[in-house]
Amino acid sequence: MEPQPIWVTFVVAFIFMNVLLVGMAYMTWFERKVLAAMQDRLGPTRTGPHGLLQPIADGIKLLGKEDLIPAAADRLVFYFAPLVVFVAAVVRVAVIPFGNQITVFGHPVNLFVADLNVGALFLLAFGSIGVYGIILGAYASANRYSLLGGLRSAAQVISYEIILGLSLVGIFLLSQSLSVRQIMLLQTASLQLGPVTLPNWFILSQPLAFVIFLIAAVAETNRAPFDLPEAETELVSGFHTEYSAFRFSFYFLGEYINMIIVSLFAATMFLGGIDGPGSDRFWVLGIFWLLVKVVFFLFFYVWLRATLPRFRYDQLMGIAWKVLLPLVLINIIVTALIRLAGNGQLF
Amino acid sequence: MTLDAIVFYILAAVCLLAAVGVVVSRNPVHAAVFVVITFFNVAAIFVMLGAEFLAAVQVIVYAGAMLVLVLFTIMLVDPDNLPELHAGRPVQRVVGVLLGLILLLEVGLAIINRTFTAPTGNATPELIGLVGGPAQAMGYILYNQYALPFEIVSLVLLVGVIGAIVLALPERLGEQFGLRRGTISLGHPRGTEVALPTGPDGEAPITEADRKETAALEGTRELILVRDPDKYTTVGERR
Amino acid sequence: MGTLTTNHFLFLSAALFIIGMMGVLTRRNILIIFMCVELMTNAVNVTLVAFARETNTLYGEGFAVFIIAIAAAEAAVGLAIILALSRRVASVDADEFNALRD
Repeated sequence: MEPQPIWVTFVVAFIFMNVLLVGMAYMTWFERKVLAAMQDRLGPTRTGPHGLLQPIADGIKLLGKEDLIPAAADRLVFYFAPLVVFVAAVVRVAVIPFGNQITVFGHPVNLFVADLNVGALFLLAFGSIGVYGIILGAYASANRYSLLGGLRSAAQVISYEIILGLSLVGIFLLSQSLSVRQIMLLQTASLQLGPVTLPNWFILSQPLAFVIFLIAAVAETNRAPFDLPEAETELVSGFHTEYSAFRFSFYFLGEYINMIIVSLFAATMFLGGIDGPGSDRFWVLGIFWLLVKVVFFLFFYVWLRATLPRFRYDQLMGIAWKVLLPLVLINIIVTALIRLAGNGQLF
Repeated sequence: MTLDAIVFYILAAVCLLAAVGVVVSRNPVHAAVFVVITFFNVAAIFVMLGAEFLAAVQVIVYAGAMLVLVLFTIMLVDPDNLPELHAGRPVQRVVGVLLGLILLLEVGLAIINRTFTAPTGNATPELIGLVGGPAQAMGYILYNQYALPFEIVSLVLLVGVIGAIVLALPERLGEQFGLRRGTISLGHPRGTEVALPTGPDGEAPITEADRKETAALEGTRELILVRDPDKYTTVGERR
Repeated sequence: MGTLTTNHFLFLSAALFIIGMMGVLTRRNILIIFMCVELMTNAVNVTLVAFARETNTLYGEGFAVFIIAIAAAEAAVGLAIILALSRRVASVDADEFNALRD
C-alpha cells in the first residue's frame, strides 16, 4: 500500500465528517418515518416531498431559538458539556474503514482516516468519554431531575461498556488483532464448509457475542428501551431538561451520531463491513454494502423503540450484571478453548 | 524545533496547567474535569512514546471508568457538606508548597546529572512492527514474562470489587438510617419505605396526617360536569 | 530544546508528580486528595514508559498496565470508603475523620 500525503487524509476526514452529519440529519427523518409507519401515521409530509426537507427545517428552528441558561447553573461546565458528547461521537469515525486504497486522479487515497493498531479500543474509549458530557451537563443544570438522569446514565454506561468491550474479546481472540481494518479484511475471505461457501463473517462464529453486543450498544447509546437517563415520562428528559436551542441540539446530534457509529462498528466487526458481492472489484459497491448493513441496524434501533416499553432501573442493572456478563464470559472462555484446540495446544 | 518537540511542549503545558487546576479549584466537579484533561494529555504522551495500547487503556480505565466513578461519588455526597473546598490551613499550605519545591529541585538535579544506564532490550519499533504492533507485543510480554503478576492483579481486582461492595452496603454496617443524608436513591430498592428517614433533610414518607389533609381537600373541590367541554376551553382565535 | 530526549518526559513526570503531591499536602477535601493521588500514579507511569522507550524494552509498559489495574481496584475501594465515611460523618473533610484519635 502506497503512503498518501497528509492533506489527502484531512480531505477524507472532512468528507467523512460531513457525510456523517448529513447522515445524522436524515437519520431523524428516517426514524420519524419508520415510527410513523409502525404506528399507522404519515410522519413529516409538509416540508418537501415526503418531508425530506424536515431535518433542515428542524436545524434552522433550533438555531433560531433562545439559548436559556438556568440562574443556578455552573456556567462554564454548562457551556462545554454538550460539546463533549458531540466531539466524542464524531471523533470515532476516524478508525472506521470504508474500503481499501483507491486511486483518484493518480493519487492513492485511503478510504479510512487512520488504521490504528488499537482501533477497536479507540472506539470503546471514546464511547465512554461521551458520558462525561451527560453527567457534567446534568450536574451543571442545577436541577434534580437532570442530576438523577446523569447519575443513571453514568451507572448505566459504565455497566454496559464492560459488556460491550467483553463481547468483542472473542473476535480479538479469533482475529489476533485490535485494528478495526485488520478485522474487516479478515472477514472478506470466504469459508468452505463442505459443499457450502460462507462469508467468513464473525456473526457466524460469534453469534452470542453479536446478540450481546447489540443489546449493550443500545444501552450505551441511551436509546429505548434503555433510555432511562432521559426518560421523558419520569424525569422530564433527564440530563437535558435545562438545555435549549443549539446546546440541546448538540446532545441530539451526539446521540444520533453515536447510533450511526455504533451501527458502523457492529457492521464492520460482525457483518464483514464492506464485504459483499462485487465489493472486491468496485469500491463503490463496498460502500453500498456497508450502508445497507448500517441501515439495517438503524432500522433495528427504531424498531426497538417502537416496540418495547422502557425497562425499570433495577431490571436494567440486573440484565447487565446477572445475565449478560456471565454469558459474555462464557463466550470468551469457549472461544479461547476452541482456538487452543484449533492450534493443537489443548490436548 | 521539530514537530515532535512542538507537540510535546503543547501537551506538557496543557497537562501541567490542568494538574495545577486540580489542586487549586474549589469545586470538586471542576477538579474532576481538570483531572480528565490531564489524563487525556498523559494518554497523548503515551502515544508519543509509542505505547498506543497503554494510551487506549489509560483513556478507557482512567478517563472512562474511574473518573466517572469519582463524579458519581461527588454527586452522591451532600453538596452542602462539601466543606471548605477552600484550601487547607495556612501552615499546611506553606509547608506543602515548600516541600514540593525542594523535591522538584532534587529530582531536577537528579535527572540532569543522570549517569545511570540500563541494558537495552530488543523491542525496537521495527521489531515490534514485525510482531504485529504494540498491542501484540504487549500481549506477548503480559502473558509470558508477566503471567504470574497478571494473575495476582486479577485477584487484587476481585478483592477490590468485593471490598467495595461490602463497604458501600449501608445495612451491613449497622448504620442508623437517621444519619443518612443527601444520598439519592437511583432505583427502587425493596423494603426501604419503613426505614426512610424523616425530617428536613431526609425524604419523609407521606404520613397519615398528610393523607387526611388531601382527603379533606378533595371533599371541598368543586366538580364541573359539562356536556360540551369546548365551552370551557378557548383555543386559538375561534372564540 | 531541539529534539526530544528521555529527560523531557522525566521532567514532565516530575512536575506532574510534585503538583499531585502539593495537592495531597495542601487540600483537605478527601475527594480532591484522592484525585491528586491518581495524578501522582499517572506521573509514575510516564516515567516508566519513558525509560522503557529509552532502553527499547516493554517491561516499563507492562508495569504501567499493572499500575492502572491496581489503581482501578484502589478507586473502587477508596470511593466506597469515602461514601461510607460521608454517610457516617456527613463530611468529606479529611481532618474530621479522627474517631480513632480520641
